[in-house]
Amino acid sequence: MTTASTHWMRVLRLMILGLGALLMLFPFFFMISTSFKPQSEVFSAGLSLIPQQWAIIANYSKAMTRIPMLQILANGLIVCASIVFFQILFALPCAYALAKLKFKGREFLFGLVLLGLLVPIHAISIPLYATARYAGILNTLAILVVPFTLSVFAIFLFRQFIKTIPDDLIMAARTDGLSEFAIVWRIILPNAWPSASAFAIFSVVAHWNDLYWPLISVSKMHLATPPLGLLFFRAAEAGDDYGALMAATVLITAPLVLFFLFAQKLFIEGMTMTGLKG
Amino acid sequence: MKKLLATASMAIAMLTSALHAQTVDIVVHYPMPGFFKNVMDQISTEYVKQHPDVKITFANPSPTYEDGLQLMLRQAGTSEMPDVSFIGLNRLRVLAERNVGVDLSSFVKADPTMAAEGYSERLLNLARFNGRQVGLAFATSNPIFYYNADLVRKAGGDPDNMPKTWDGVLALSAKINALGDGVNGMSYRWQGDDWMFSALLFGHGGTMLTSDEKKVAFDGPEGLASFKLIDRMVKEGKMPAMTSDAAVQSFTAGKTGLFFWTTGALRSVINGVGNKFELRTTSMPVIDAQKGRLPTGGNAAVMFTTDPQKQKAVFDFIKFASGAYGASVVVPGTGYVPNNDLAPKDPRYLGNFYKENPLFRAGLNQMELMIPWYSFPGNNGVKVTQTIVDNLAQLVEQKVTPEEALKATSSEVQKLLPR
Amino acid sequence: MTRTDPISRHENRAGLFLVFPTFTLMVLLLILPTLAVFALSLTDAELGSTTFTFLGLDAYSDLLSDRNFLRAFKNTFIYVGLVSPASVILGLMLALLIEAETDARGFFRSIYFLPVVALVVAMASVWQYLMHPSFGPINLFLNIFGIASINWLGSSDNVLPALAIIGIWQGIGFNMVLFLAGLTGINRDLYAAAEMDGAKTAWSRFWVVTWPMLGPTTLFVITITVINAVKVFETVATLTQGGPAKASEVLLWSIYQEGFVFLHIGTASAMAMVFIVVLLVLLLIQTRLLEKQVHYT
Repeated sequence: MTTASTHWMRVLRLMILGLGALLMLFPFFFMISTSFKPQSEVFSAGLSLIPQQWAIIANYSKAMTRIPMLQILANGLIVCASIVFFQILFALPCAYALAKLKFKGREFLFGLVLLGLLVPIHAISIPLYATARYAGILNTLAILVVPFTLSVFAIFLFRQFIKTIPDDLIMAARTDGLSEFAIVWRIILPNAWPSASAFAIFSVVAHWNDLYWPLISVSKMHLATPPLGLLFFRAAEAGDDYGALMAATVLITAPLVLFFLFAQKLFIEGMTMTGLKG
Repeated sequence: MKKLLATASMAIAMLTSALHAQTVDIVVHYPMPGFFKNVMDQISTEYVKQHPDVKITFANPSPTYEDGLQLMLRQAGTSEMPDVSFIGLNRLRVLAERNVGVDLSSFVKADPTMAAEGYSERLLNLARFNGRQVGLAFATSNPIFYYNADLVRKAGGDPDNMPKTWDGVLALSAKINALGDGVNGMSYRWQGDDWMFSALLFGHGGTMLTSDEKKVAFDGPEGLASFKLIDRMVKEGKMPAMTSDAAVQSFTAGKTGLFFWTTGALRSVINGVGNKFELRTTSMPVIDAQKGRLPTGGNAAVMFTTDPQKQKAVFDFIKFASGAYGASVVVPGTGYVPNNDLAPKDPRYLGNFYKENPLFRAGLNQMELMIPWYSFPGNNGVKVTQTIVDNLAQLVEQKVTPEEALKATSSEVQKLLPR
Repeated sequence: MTRTDPISRHENRAGLFLVFPTFTLMVLLLILPTLAVFALSLTDAELGSTTFTFLGLDAYSDLLSDRNFLRAFKNTFIYVGLVSPASVILGLMLALLIEAETDARGFFRSIYFLPVVALVVAMASVWQYLMHPSFGPINLFLNIFGIASINWLGSSDNVLPALAIIGIWQGIGFNMVLFLAGLTGINRDLYAAAEMDGAKTAWSRFWVVTWPMLGPTTLFVITITVINAVKVFETVATLTQGGPAKASEVLLWSIYQEGFVFLHIGTASAMAMVFIVVLLVLLLIQTRLLEKQVHYT
């Protein structure tokens, strides 16, 4: 291959990638641009991205006040963080036991884990809802968290990873007198950190987006998670003020996107790791 | 010393619990925040100002009347249920039949000021079913004819003399459509529920079911004529098949000339149009001058709480919201017509409003044609209206003929009726 | 080592102790609910009412002859069929292009991954604006080239492709990243060996080395994509609510409507069981294919 042709290949490649990038990004461009426009300009014929009149303050303040935006974002943060915390809390010891310890019923338990991978929350939402209703715990932050505390995916993932940890390390800890429980948190967790943080990111992205369970379990606005809050905002705007709606979508999308941009490596490698181990 | 502290803390506890006991917390649920959020906020703020011992919290509003009703049925009997909700007028029947919600008859009888505050028999009847006062009518509406005066002029029409028949409307629509540049002639809001369809059906003098409510009656000549009219809207009037949201957006952007929807959307449409074009409204085209009627849209406030102390507060709030003050907020804030007889006459409330706001008169002028929005019997009311809409969608997309659509609708609805 | 060996007895106890909390959760959040769903599916139970009749397997035959449910089934599979191949193939192509790129690799990787991180419900609202039949930017753009405006979400013919476009847009980045990881795992020596064996062009190198070595990754990507597509819900809930005329009625939406809106939890549970079976079948197909493919390394 001559340098000339590789050069041309590169130009072609960059062009294709560039065009694709534009396709990926154009919804974001329009989202932001529309959020700056006043109502009268939103639905006018013409593909202009720059507004003629700027309505940033009007749109964004509407987005902040029409729904309790800060509270909703806070709810999202609390719920997702709690979910991840409990998921790891429960999954790590279990994964360690499955990976490194011999005990009665180990194969059976692992079979249950595989079975769990099969059953999504949507399928069992009905009895969970009925039980929660009977217990009177609907409309709480707890009910948004509890059904997700069991993550068989986390167990599966951590087990794969822990298997690669050398047994000598564990043996040494045992000789030092550490209990198995202590081993989990003092030895395994630090070693499994990449895997755990990868999973954490995967879980946060999944649960930040979740609409189904919050939709049925919560009916009070102050408990709404971001997707639910946005759905309500849409209903309240009823095709009226698309500029404000776009402002709301910007505000709700921003946290995760900004977090992603700052922690890109962590994100992408995290999702890769979870992917490959599946 | 210990004894002093003990008595002091007990006193404080009793005092705080006494203070707490005085604040009543009402949870309010309502549908269609797009129309009602500002109105609800205003009414509740004013109410709390006048009654500082009451606190009002809002549950998540439901996007439609159907979602609202189903949510209430789902929450019935649980602690999640709100204390009061606003239910679509055609959905009150289900609540009555399932004995959900409080019968307000005793409250109404016990209140001596009802008549003086404008609650006529006609008004109370809107939310009465089989002698049970299911609620108090809060907002009522009828379908009106919105139009873009600029586009009408461009197409050679006269905005001051709009057609009074459907033939005239369809012809005008075709002319507007011919203007090109992505302009649509008309949109008729057949989506969402059966209300606008019933406007055509009742306009022809037809009824939904037979009088014993066992068989479908909309498959008669009136129903067929209604289906055919919708078909003509597409074929002659060039009505496009759009989602309800897209249709509204198209009109408010100035891209659709003629638009048929509830007067309850008026404020929302005015806001959306802004200064883009000259917005006007007028009455619906008349189909049958003798037998023709229009359906009454809207909703009624229904009480759910069974706590006697809360019930007093809730009934008071319901009266406030559906009374003259409420009407003075709802009418300008949405476009719904006043069902309170006192409000339009009294200059304190709406007396001057109608003089100064001609757009709102279209709905007002049609009030004597209003008949109740039909409630289907049985448990499948929501599915029935969904079936009608789904079949209309097929018709509008020109996938079936009016006859086929009518036949399908009729047989499917018949299956959903109680046996 | 005998059973009574103190070490293994200790291990046994420790193991059981560590898994006990998780096992409890499994019983409460997985096993009991699944059994409950199965039990409910055999009845005509309604939420809020305490009486019901036992229908047995009739519940399933009723369901499978329900026109609307079959429609939901069909729609879901059409959606999956539209989203999956495009998502996977485009993801692979992107990964190959980006992998060959040296400097701008990280930059492009981030851009293509951005849709994955954006909130689905939020972006659905944006797409609704983009897809407006009269003046959505997409149609305006098409008009510039003389192509007539398309009624994306309002036409029962176009609504599934429209939703599929949104689904593909959201999913490409994820698949791309998975493929990238798979590509970096391929041993460079294999390429050198292939070239010496006569595979001169990039095209032939791809078929001889890259494609076979990507086997497990590809299979995994396909599985994940298909399963996520079957679980489509957010876009339908936000944009179409199953319409127009049930053209975008999908399995999860049906379950939600039937169970939580119409309160027929018996029927909804039967639908949920069918849903689980569908996922089971898809996973079985994947493991079966996996066994066939992965026999070289």
